[in-house]
Amino acid sequence: MSEQFELGVAELGKQIDARISSYFSSCVHCGLCAEACLFYTETGDPRYTPIYKLEPMKKLWRQEHTIRGKLAKALGLSKPLQEKDFADWEELVYDSCTLCGRCSMVCPVGNDITYMISKEREGFSRAGYAPEGLKGATQRALEIGSPMGVTLKTVLATLAHVEKDTGLSVPVDQQGADYMTLFSSMEVVNFPEYIESIARIFDAAGVSWTISSKAFEATNSGIQIGNSDNAAEIVGRVVTAAEELGVKYVISPECGHAYTSIRWAGPNLIGRPYRFKVIHILELLDQLKQEGRIRFSGKTDEPVTFHDPCQIVRRGGVVQPQRDLLNGIAENFVEMTDHGVMNWCCGGGGGVSANERADELRIKAFDRKRKQIEETGVNTVVTACANCRMMLEDGIEENEMETTVIGLTELIADYLVTDAKEQSEVR
Amino acid sequence: MIAQLIDGPLWYFSLTVFVLGVLWRLFMILRAGVKKDLAVPRDGSGAGALRAIFSRFVPERTVRRHGKVQLIAGYMFHLGLFALLFLARPHVDFFAERMTGFGWWSMPYWAFIVAAEIAFAGLIMLWLYRLLNPVTRLLSSADDYVGTVLVFLVMLSGCLALAQSVEALRLTHLLLVEMLLIYFPFSSLMHAFTFAFSRGYTGATMGRKGIRA
Amino acid sequence: MLINHRRGLSFFAVLFVLLIVSPAFAEDAASSNKPVTVPNPASDLWRAVNPQQLPPAVAAMFPRGDSQVQGVQSGVLINQQGQIWRYFRMKQLLPIGGYLLAGAMLAVLLFYFIRGKVLIRDGESDKKIERYSVYERMIHWFMAFIFLFLGFSGLILLFGRSLLLPWMGPELFSILASAAKEGHNLFGPLFLLALVLMFLKFVVRNIYQKGDLTWLLKGGGIIGEHDVPSNFFNMGEKTLFWLLILVGGLIAISGVVLLFPVFEQGRGIMELSHVVHAIAAVIMLTVIIGHIYIGTIGMQGAIEGMTSGYCDLNWAKDHHSWWAQRCIDEGKIVPKQQGSAVHHDNPGPGEVEK
Repeated sequence: MSEQFELGVAELGKQIDARISSYFSSCVHCGLCAEACLFYTETGDPRYTPIYKLEPMKKLWRQEHTIRGKLAKALGLSKPLQEKDFADWEELVYDSCTLCGRCSMVCPVGNDITYMISKEREGFSRAGYAPEGLKGATQRALEIGSPMGVTLKTVLATLAHVEKDTGLSVPVDQQGADYMTLFSSMEVVNFPEYIESIARIFDAAGVSWTISSKAFEATNSGIQIGNSDNAAEIVGRVVTAAEELGVKYVISPECGHAYTSIRWAGPNLIGRPYRFKVIHILELLDQLKQEGRIRFSGKTDEPVTFHDPCQIVRRGGVVQPQRDLLNGIAENFVEMTDHGVMNWCCGGGGGVSANERADELRIKAFDRKRKQIEETGVNTVVTACANCRMMLEDGIEENEMETTVIGLTELIADYLVTDAKEQSEVR
Repeated sequence: MIAQLIDGPLWYFSLTVFVLGVLWRLFMILRAGVKKDLAVPRDGSGAGALRAIFSRFVPERTVRRHGKVQLIAGYMFHLGLFALLFLARPHVDFFAERMTGFGWWSMPYWAFIVAAEIAFAGLIMLWLYRLLNPVTRLLSSADDYVGTVLVFLVMLSGCLALAQSVEALRLTHLLLVEMLLIYFPFSSLMHAFTFAFSRGYTGATMGRKGIRA
Repeated sequence: MLINHRRGLSFFAVLFVLLIVSPAFAEDAASSNKPVTVPNPASDLWRAVNPQQLPPAVAAMFPRGDSQVQGVQSGVLINQQGQIWRYFRMKQLLPIGGYLLAGAMLAVLLFYFIRGKVLIRDGESDKKIERYSVYERMIHWFMAFIFLFLGFSGLILLFGRSLLLPWMGPELFSILASAAKEGHNLFGPLFLLALVLMFLKFVVRNIYQKGDLTWLLKGGGIIGEHDVPSNFFNMGEKTLFWLLILVGGLIAISGVVLLFPVFEQGRGIMELSHVVHAIAAVIMLTVIIGHIYIGTIGMQGAIEGMTSGYCDLNWAKDHHSWWAQRCIDEGKIVPKQQGSAVHHDNPGPGEVEK
């Protein structure tokens, strides 16, 4: 048994808190969580049952937290965890779980299975059993500052483009601004429209904001791979930068897991509350709308539906703002059958999108979303997460669907009433 | 001799194992502890916990659609079992005589029969589902089957001893109950107590985030 | 009301006679033909308390006895049909039923040694078809569980006294008999539930179709060597289904009559119910012995459909070739290595049958 593996097992043991202990005690193996998991429903493979992904952790819990397990271990009736257990389960723990949290909503005894899996990943990653793609992303996040390897130079270049296209100036390192804005690398690289939209909206609403050159990246691969030390370092950069600039708020970008990382996990990772507040961009936009600081020039009559990013809604608690906003700019907003906190994942969350090994399975699991979209009969899907958007576009292309995907913030910017626009309308 | 053992010392022994075992298991859970959540909450955790403890009695749409059989059988079994356990006349008398010192309302005979039918139908269905559905078959361990069979035998022996006319059958029932009590703290039957903890913990976390779970 | 009741009783009595052609009367006749008749001094008393035996004119004077007890037939002291029922149970049901069941088991064994196990002609393939959903299998095994429990407890009640009592001794047997009686009564209503669930789930596929008769005439492919095509269910399975529903239904209804004496049913109806219950149960047990045989040791690959839910493709081709062909056409064949195909929103395998 290697030393690293032992460290992993020790870490796994440390993760078992009262929550996890009560969860394992309560599970009666009813298997209903399977029905909530898109990896099970789309493959029919019982191995993808959420609680089954926790067998290694359960084994350890039983041996360390139950009388029977301790007895069996002492008598040599149950073997301690083997490397093989981790090797066999790595795919289940990383490839077939997007940490979407749907299983946690249906469990009759109330087990937060997603929480358990994220804690199990702590042990797995310490032991070295994590997918290469995620290991690489985490490495890049730590060394370069972004899981996709985006450097400050790239960001500044993008910002220059944005300034040129919008004719607005994008404030960087502005001491004492109200809001510090973060991005996900994917937005910088694939969807600079998001940054453009933000610049335009904030300008129209008169929001005092800035970008930090020390921390622009909002995503946190440490959370996805399950390494709280790495996660703490990544989130710590944001905290340091925000507190140095003295901002009142940090804005989490559309990206789903960035929000849960900074808003909910962050203070626990660094071990103290922040000296600023975290707000999701959708919450802020909804607030601006309600305060009348942004107005819309009309509504699109094209029917739209909304894909809820799991981490924003089910794991983050931002449910209503996106609906208020969308109803403000869309005449015909059609909800999917399972929406809000019971939405179905795009298939690429929780680090699955960074894990090439899981691509085939992910595309198969996307079938759930395909059926959902087709059921609405709508050809435009609005979402609020760059990663979801990539995954949706990937799945749509793979399935040869006639669906377009658009970011909500972008859509809002399109219908924004700016002074210039108003004048032209008056004329 | 055996009769006296079953009716006396063994009963008190099994009851002690049950009570101490359950308390120990709950202590083990609480001892593991939960770290204080430092994130600024959106809503209260207490309300969330309370909410989840009750809201999970009502299944989600996903479960209503795809877990119908388990849902119906599960409710049949649990409701039937509770009715039998707490409201059957012989049980009320037993509780009054040995534990509480006072009795309470008990079901008429026909209601007892109906409760037993419902509980049996539910339990057998759940048992078969466990065996026949690939997911539950994969998840289930010996513990799940032992628990099911023990509960089944306890219920069966109880109903066979119905008239209480045959002492041997009553003692068989009591002996099986004692075995169940001893087995209880070591098994997933513990969910009867820990479900409130699980739902509470999850509900509290979700509550802080402002999610209705 | 009273007249009707008595007419009803005599109707059942006639039924009894037709049903069992009882030799009891012959015995009675023989005894009355004795050369010297010595009048029993108590006979007048017996006649008085047993008014049904009197000529109608006299019986009218004693319409029924008087009793403080208010209840169905509480005024009847002696039940004439009781003797016939007792005779049926002890002298006919026990031996005939016993030999029938033993014979059925023997026949099955004999068949096994003569015909041998029905093998899959081309051997097992590496492909399978989904045959029964989880819910369908649950219903089947629920029925099986209840049926066997009721079957065994019923057999203990019926044959226990002659077969088990001498062997177990009275103490042990009385406990067993008491338990069997309570258990039989307890699980009885669940049989009705199982019957209803089974009917609802399987009835569509069990409606007789074209080709079923040919299947029967060709011996179902078990006796002859020829390949006899059939649908999802063949004639034999369909007949088993309808036997279960109809004969099983009789068992259930007569059982309910016996179990709940709250519908003002008198002794006559109870006795008739018992006769129906026993005869139907013996028939059904005999049939089920055959069913269990062919489902287990009698045929290769037969039980898999009911355990795993999947059957071997070659087995399906052998025994349900039309259904197998339809599954092939619809692309429902899965490799054996793979787990269940996408199960969500798919209809159960039975629903394809129209």
